[in-house]
Amino acid sequence: MSLLTVKNVVAGYGDGPAILNGASVDVQPGKVHCIIGPNGAGKSTLLKAICGMLKIRSGEVTFKGESLKGLRPDQVLRKGICFVPQERALFPKMTVRENLRMGGFSMTDKRLLEKRIDEIEERFPILKERRDQHAGTMSGGQQQTLSMARTMILRPEIVMLDEPSLGLAPKIVQEIFDIIRVMAADGITILIVEQNALMGLRCADWGVVLDLGRTLFEGPAEEVLADPRIREAYLGAKKAA
Amino acid sequence: MADILQILILGLALGGVYALMGAGLSLVFGVMRIVNLAHPSLIMMGAYVAFWGFRLYGIDPIVMLPVAMVILAATGVLLYKLVFEREAKSAKYSEMTVLLTFAFAMVFEGALATAFTNTQRVTTPDYAVDAIFIGNVFIPLGQLYAGIVSLVLIGALALYLKYSRFGYAIRATTQNREAAELLGVNVNFVGLVSFAIGLALAGAAGALVSFVFSFFPSKHWEWIAILMSLVVLGGMGSILGTVVAAYILSVVAAFVGFFFGATLSTLTFFVALFVVLLVRPQGLFGEKPELA
Repeated sequence: MSLLTVKNVVAGYGDGPAILNGASVDVQPGKVHCIIGPNGAGKSTLLKAICGMLKIRSGEVTFKGESLKGLRPDQVLRKGICFVPQERALFPKMTVRENLRMGGFSMTDKRLLEKRIDEIEERFPILKERRDQHAGTMSGGQQQTLSMARTMILRPEIVMLDEPSLGLAPKIVQEIFDIIRVMAADGITILIVEQNALMGLRCADWGVVLDLGRTLFEGPAEEVLADPRIREAYLGAKKAA
Repeated sequence: MADILQILILGLALGGVYALMGAGLSLVFGVMRIVNLAHPSLIMMGAYVAFWGFRLYGIDPIVMLPVAMVILAATGVLLYKLVFEREAKSAKYSEMTVLLTFAFAMVFEGALATAFTNTQRVTTPDYAVDAIFIGNVFIPLGQLYAGIVSLVLIGALALYLKYSRFGYAIRATTQNREAAELLGVNVNFVGLVSFAIGLALAGAAGALVSFVFSFFPSKHWEWIAILMSLVVLGGMGSILGTVVAAYILSVVAAFVGFFFGATLSTLTFFVALFVVLLVRPQGLFGEKPELA
């Protein structure tokens, strides 16, 4: 049973050409999914189309049997799908605590919101330590941690991360992937787009290869990692002699 | 020494009024990226509301202040709905608003001049011409009251932005519009309300200005230059920056005026504008401009 189904989606920016040309993904509950593919394959576009930032021209996106087509980003969010864009979507001149509060902007119960923020701070001590610091003054890794932790306030079912490792030092990247595993252990379904395909697939249960706006291959991450053609074309492995 | 203290106090009292005049401009730019060149002409409208309230019905301009705020806020809602909302998706929005609001400034000026002539006006409640003495330092009561009311309003605005739910939404939209939208903020509604608040502040500033300076419809051109220098020195879109800049420049202008005469006093603002743009274009609290 898939939680989220993307089927033959065609989408693009404004009136421009279609970037996605029939992309399909099956998202299984509780698993980590990694979408890989070359630059311009439509990986980020796919996440934006799911979360309602881009209009879906044709095809279907269904979440628990309900169509997400035509919903605004805030409506998709309310259904339980959080999106962390590449730029991390933080408010640089708001404090860490205020950024966490913005994560629960759509919540009406203020006390519950504060309680959840306290829980998040317990789990990510760095955020507690920095709570009164402006988010914009933190390091890239800390900012990424904050934007990922912030999604957990709404207890989402799916979290979509666009290039979480972008611009981070290798050691920090490892920490970020550790957090992704922690989130998955919490039962959150994860969908990541990664430029660092090897690293992303090693962390993932399920791999999706996207190229030219279409899904080329979809399967268990180990299989994607092991497939010689994919290794050669997308993972930068040398041709076997 | 008494002279120095005297000038400082006069500068600080006026600084509050300038801060209020600039705060609305800064808010509207921060949230909406609208460079509102019509802001001072809207302040002028507020001044006329207070002036006529006093002239016709003998109502104190500080009592008229909320009336001016409501009238200007309503004007803001109307303008936003009719003009700014439609164009918000345009790629050259900020640049376009410069021309658009320039046109509005001329229209408002013409309308005010047609309705009320170009006669110099000033609201004259008793305190406007009174002063209190502390030792041998005198404080003009009108400027003192205007300064205090300005501070109260700016303080209220700051608390609202810092602590209210809607204040969070306004700040979030200012700092990262797309992210705010992703988290469920209705950014278009935030734009509307911020614009209305910005204009309400213009109305309030107008009511206060009406008894601090004499005014006539075309005087807003003089104010726009002063306000632009405040907003640029403070850092475009930073309200705190605008307030700090207002106090700094107002005090400096008061000193320049004392030592070099009133003409050069006004020059302070323009020189500051040039120097800031040359030395620190992002202003005191602004972000570093992106290298394009």
